[in-house]
Amino acid sequence: MFRAKRRTVVVAAAAAAGAAVAVLLLGGWTGGGGSGETHVDGSADAVLYDAGHRPLAPDFTGTTLTGSRLSFAAYRAGKVVVLNFWGSWCVPCREEAPMLAVLAQRYRPAGVAFLGVDVRDTTASAEAFARDFGITYPSVTDPGSVITLDFTSAVPVAGTPTTLVIDRTGHIAGAVFGTASYGELATILGAVTRS
Amino acid sequence: MTDVRAPGPDALDSPAQQAAAGPAPGGFGPAGWLKWAWRQLTSMRIALILLFLLVLGSVPGSMLPQQGADPAGVQQYFAAHPALAPLLNRLGLFNVFAAPWFAAIYLLLFASLVGCVVPRTFRLAGSARALPPRAPRDLARLPRSAQYATALPAGQAAEVAARFLAGRGFRLRRPEASGGADGPAGTWVSAEKGYLREAGNLLFHLALLGVLVSVALGGLFGYKADRLLVQGDTFADTVSALDEFHPGRLVTAADLAPFTITLDDFTASYIDSGPQAGQPSAFHARLSYTARPGGPVRGYDLQVNRPLPVDGAKVYLIGHGYAPVFRVTDARGQVVYDQATPFIPGSSGNFLSEGVVKVPDARPEQLGFTGVFVPTAVDVGGTLQSAFPAADNPVVSLIAFAGNLGMNSGAPQSVYQLDTAGMRRLSATPLLMRPHQTVRLPGGGAITFTGYTQWVSLAVTYDPGQLPALVCAIAALGGLLLSFLVRRRRVFVRARAAGHGSTVQVGGLTRTDASGGFEAEFASLAAELRSAHARAASQPATPVPDHPQTAEGE
Repeated sequence: MFRAKRRTVVVAAAAAAGAAVAVLLLGGWTGGGGSGETHVDGSADAVLYDAGHRPLAPDFTGTTLTGSRLSFAAYRAGKVVVLNFWGSWCVPCREEAPMLAVLAQRYRPAGVAFLGVDVRDTTASAEAFARDFGITYPSVTDPGSVITLDFTSAVPVAGTPTTLVIDRTGHIAGAVFGTASYGELATILGAVTRS
Repeated sequence: MTDVRAPGPDALDSPAQQAAAGPAPGGFGPAGWLKWAWRQLTSMRIALILLFLLVLGSVPGSMLPQQGADPAGVQQYFAAHPALAPLLNRLGLFNVFAAPWFAAIYLLLFASLVGCVVPRTFRLAGSARALPPRAPRDLARLPRSAQYATALPAGQAAEVAARFLAGRGFRLRRPEASGGADGPAGTWVSAEKGYLREAGNLLFHLALLGVLVSVALGGLFGYKADRLLVQGDTFADTVSALDEFHPGRLVTAADLAPFTITLDDFTASYIDSGPQAGQPSAFHARLSYTARPGGPVRGYDLQVNRPLPVDGAKVYLIGHGYAPVFRVTDARGQVVYDQATPFIPGSSGNFLSEGVVKVPDARPEQLGFTGVFVPTAVDVGGTLQSAFPAADNPVVSLIAFAGNLGMNSGAPQSVYQLDTAGMRRLSATPLLMRPHQTVRLPGGGAITFTGYTQWVSLAVTYDPGQLPALVCAIAALGGLLLSFLVRRRRVFVRARAAGHGSTVQVGGLTRTDASGGFEAEFASLAAELRSAHARAASQPATPVPDHPQTAEGE
């Protein structure tokens, strides 16, 4: 009787330890995957959210680089918006900037609006950047990452660059976390402007 | 002494350990081997070996530069030891705490501790509830014993002894067959005291488990982060706003406490004179913060060792420095840079600080500057030194470069390092500037040292296991003290009919008597019991009328 009891205790301990180990090991793999999203062009960092799984983009107001107030809701006005989080100090942002300038020109006739969120930057540097890369769409300044913080509750914005595509109803339809390619954004925009 | 069975093995060795001491299974099959391996793993010896390996494994972490803490040091090591470094890298020695072998050690240690502590907890719980064993046949063979005659019949003598011992807080056990049968061995009482020892032991083991769980909690759900914040600037606690971010395994970007902090003002006071001159006397960082977006703005005077508690996280003031403000115009006359640039205090003391200015959007060429900020500049034999940490005579000395900063493609760069591989130096001598001075650059453009401001570095820590770990550690200590100070002791009384009365035997033993004193306690107990018997015998027949046992005894 005593032996049997000891055995159950050992088994219970093994189960407890096993569970603890499993939690520690699995910890590394949680957070990814999940349903409701499709990876774009085989990239793990470019996703298209399925209809019904699109998080609502938070509304915000900010100051543009030229000093005027901008309300996101008013700017959006029922259009598809490409929202790019960037900084003039950020190497991958500088890498993708020429592509974004071209993309913005190409998609303007289709009614796609572009807006930058200039993170941890100064107006002087950001204006020089926009001049340098021929960026003609506006950017709101986010020196304290406050707008970024608003968006992290909707999508995991972990840094710059991050590019979000917002559909006509104000939901986040697609995202590229990290340097975006023309192909990735064109694929997402194609899917969003069609719907 | 065959009857005096200890209720369980001594609390210092687990059943697993005892089992491990036994022979390895010869032909028990895989299940037997598995059980044998588990017993080995949960033995004290293996736990100690694992603990030693853990310490040994951390040694390279402190001797070799580590990827997380010192990536530049790792690069230097690779450059200095081109043959050895890749080998060490394969072994994970540049990132020891994330290496699989290190994880294997601590997971095994965790399993070993859990496997050791959990069964012991169950056993202690059983032991704390257990009744004392039956009284041995011959109490004279116990370590402590006494014997005397009383005029009371055996049954009544046992009853008096039981009442006496119960009054002293002993837990009792009487013969199962009720009626106080006066067999040839007489009747008996077993009594035990000091269960608080087992309770203390139990508390210690449970608290130990609690500490393990708390540490795991902190490791899974906690995070640490650093942020350098210039006076007047704001940051929100989100990954992109943090300079360093070390999340626990189950922390995602959305789990960060959504507070926002603005550094309104920072003052550092220094001792002006005397042998302590230049030593800091006080740091005050005045903050405005909101605990969540749109929440009320509150103020806080952040000091060293006075962290800001916000939404479960704590924000510590861990450093400070100067941030000279520069304005750069390029050859076209465009302002391409206008901001405070944090400079990092160097090793030469008195806040002589080094920093870098990168102007990637200057035209026709990108511009870069490396420089030092000297808060109280003095010229010592032609070199610039800082005489005092306060900014009494601020000067910057810059070296200007033009060319390609390497920022338009490639790997992310540190804001504190200038890659001059694609650049050429613009002037042979450093540009020495005081506040509000402007220097024209060869090839067009100019740089102005507008003034300076200060920065603080903040550490944000969130450790949900901290408080539980503290509570558990205190509980563990309390339990340990209880188990050391409280003695578990047993007293047995056996009464046998002899002549008109009976012979009373009293025996006592204690399992651990590290603190001593049981001998005296037993002697006084036995004496008091004897006088209780004498008192009961001298009172003529005052039995409880409806008590069958005493009625029968008369």
